[in-house]
Amino acid sequence: MTLSRAQLLVLVAFSIPVAIELRVLFGFFGIDLPLVAVVAFEAVFLLLIAVAYMVGAEPKSATKH
Amino acid sequence: MATFVDRYPDEAAVVKACLTVSFTALAIGAFFGLVQALHRTDYFRFISSVDYYTVLTGHGVLLALVFTIFFLVGLFTWAVVQSLERPMPDIRLTWAWFGLTTTGAVFAAVAILAGLIPSIDMSADVLYTFYAPLQAHPLFYIGLAMFIVGTWLAGADWFLAYRDWRGDNPDERIPLQTFMVLTTMLMWYLSTLGVAVSVVVFLIPWSFGLVETVNPLLTRTLFWYFGHPVVYFWLMPAYLMWYTVLPKLAGGRLFSDPLARVVFVLFLLLSTPVGIHHQYLDPGIAEGFKFIAMTNTMFLLLPSLLTAFTVVASVEHGARQRGGKGYIKWLGALPWRDPAFTGMALAGAMFAAGGFSGMINAGMNINYLIHNTLWVPGHFHLTVGTAVALTMMAGSYWLVPQLTGKRLYSRPIGLLQVVMWFVGMVFMSNAMHRAGLVGIPRRTAEPQYQSFDFNAVIGTVGELQAQIALGGTLLFLSVVLFVFNILLSAIEDPIENPVDDSLPAPLSGASGSPRVLDDLRLWTAIAVVLVILAYTLPLASIVGDAGWFGNVPGVPVWVSANVEALGDLLREVVA
Ligand code: HEM
Ligand SMILES: [Cu+2]
Repeated sequence: MTLSRAQLLVLVAFSIPVAIELRVLFGFFGIDLPLVAVVAFEAVFLLLIAVAYMVGAEPKSATKH
Repeated sequence: MATFVDRYPDEAAVVKACLTVSFTALAIGAFFGLVQALHRTDYFRFISSVDYYTVLTGHGVLLALVFTIFFLVGLFTWAVVQSLERPMPDIRLTWAWFGLTTTGAVFAAVAILAGLIPSIDMSADVLYTFYAPLQAHPLFYIGLAMFIVGTWLAGADWFLAYRDWRGDNPDERIPLQTFMVLTTMLMWYLSTLGVAVSVVVFLIPWSFGLVETVNPLLTRTLFWYFGHPVVYFWLMPAYLMWYTVLPKLAGGRLFSDPLARVVFVLFLLLSTPVGIHHQYLDPGIAEGFKFIAMTNTMFLLLPSLLTAFTVVASVEHGARQRGGKGYIKWLGALPWRDPAFTGMALAGAMFAAGGFSGMINAGMNINYLIHNTLWVPGHFHLTVGTAVALTMMAGSYWLVPQLTGKRLYSRPIGLLQVVMWFVGMVFMSNAMHRAGLVGIPRRTAEPQYQSFDFNAVIGTVGELQAQIALGGTLLFLSVVLFVFNILLSAIEDPIENPVDDSLPAPLSGASGSPRVLDDLRLWTAIAVVLVILAYTLPLASIVGDAGWFGNVPGVPVWVSANVEALGDLLREVVA
């Protein structure tokens, strides 16, 4: 799967409400998720998207060579 | 293949004028929004807390009334002209209503903003709901009245265009966009009656001192008689774009024309007899009437869910036309690079969230939990503040080139702008909802109290405030990007085809929809009957309780410097 830059932007945007609501979700089960956990989650998610973006971009440049 | 401005230059000029007023209001209103977000979270205060209410009134009026409605009158003019494929009957009438609405809006804005200048003895710190007994300078109410009459004339103009078209096409179905405009305007005529009576019969004479007192509950009820349908007046231009433009941007076609017509008819029928759901906590209205309003409100979910289905189906169809596959993967085939598409799609996604928090507002018993808290602005910044506002901004990236014949200055900046709005609103509205749940009030410059702390259930109040301030800042920056992008587009050189402005026919066209849907007289008659059923008894009992003109003097907020006089008056009001 190749990610375009626009898709990357939209995916990053969508990750933010998910991360924020994570605490509410855990709250339903009585678990107090600290802020750092959310920040860590978001960081990992961004990393994953970045990797997906880079992996997706590679074959394209490979075919050019 | 000329674009709109080449075919209808006179009409394009009016639409451009409408959008200019609209975006000017957006820019000023967004700045006020930033000031509020920073002030009430205590991050940056440079106005006095008394002036906060002036700014808040300006923000509400300029954004919820001026920005949205001027965009609407421009868009509707464009929609009528291009779907009937004929110019307006008399462009002088078109300019006349533009002049009247603009003068009215300027009057109201001057009355509000004068409140920031102590040397001018004029103010209108009445919040955008202009509840009595808060009293504004007469100029504010006169401006409002002119603005409303201007929108009536605009509607008359579109109906005249339709009549001319009907003369030449006696047997054809009403073109979909014109159908949307006409049903929306019928709803608007019916519902603005309430606010017009309130302003002309009660508030203007009272602000001039011709009558001494008002019946606040009567004017409130008349306000909300209009105050709920107005949310659909904001929303219908967004719906018009979601139904007729978004499928095309996605690469497909509208799923069903008849379903779209049903939705607009349902809004005409159901928008007005629900206004009392804003008054669940008003004393003086029997619980039974509130219960009826709640039931009607729940019926309104139907057209919203129909819309969600139709629009998503159309977008999915577009994605599959573009080669999208699978249950979820088709999402990747959508044209995310196009700011007009992405903006509208994000706006639609946020509207779903706003719809859920709206159901909490609508439920009579749960409403008590969030009434007048920050939850409420949290809700309507998702609906009018995003579903409508973001759709309008995104739609402009597609519409403005047709009006100017010039290409959009920058698509990447446009994309960044709509995504920034989404992210900013996620931060701000999420925190507002959560703050409201723990009881933090809306409409206050000083949400902190002595010897009392709010206790956020999850996280801290400080985090919520940081989120509001951060979100507000991103939203303001997003508006700055939008305004500059549009301004820079205006000084580009004209080109042949600045944008692909063709609108493909729906998958299931008008011919498949029952003729009765186009019977506007029938639907209007039913709508009137529903309004009479919902409102006669409550209004009669309100007038029976305290009379037409009540017994409450005004709170002349423009002498707010004179605190003592204000205190005396308040005591009088309470007594
Ligand atoms: C730059 C973006 C915006 C920011 C930072 C912002 C911020 C705020 C804040 C913090 C409040 C709550 C103030 C309080 O209750 O104390 C508020 C109220 C409000 N906002 Fe916004 N807002 C923005 C955009 C919009 C838009 C686009 C609309 C509508 C189209 C809108 C309509 C309103 C209305 C109607 C109120 C309530 C006014 C009242 O209580 O009388 N806002 N806004
Ligand atoms: Cu409502």
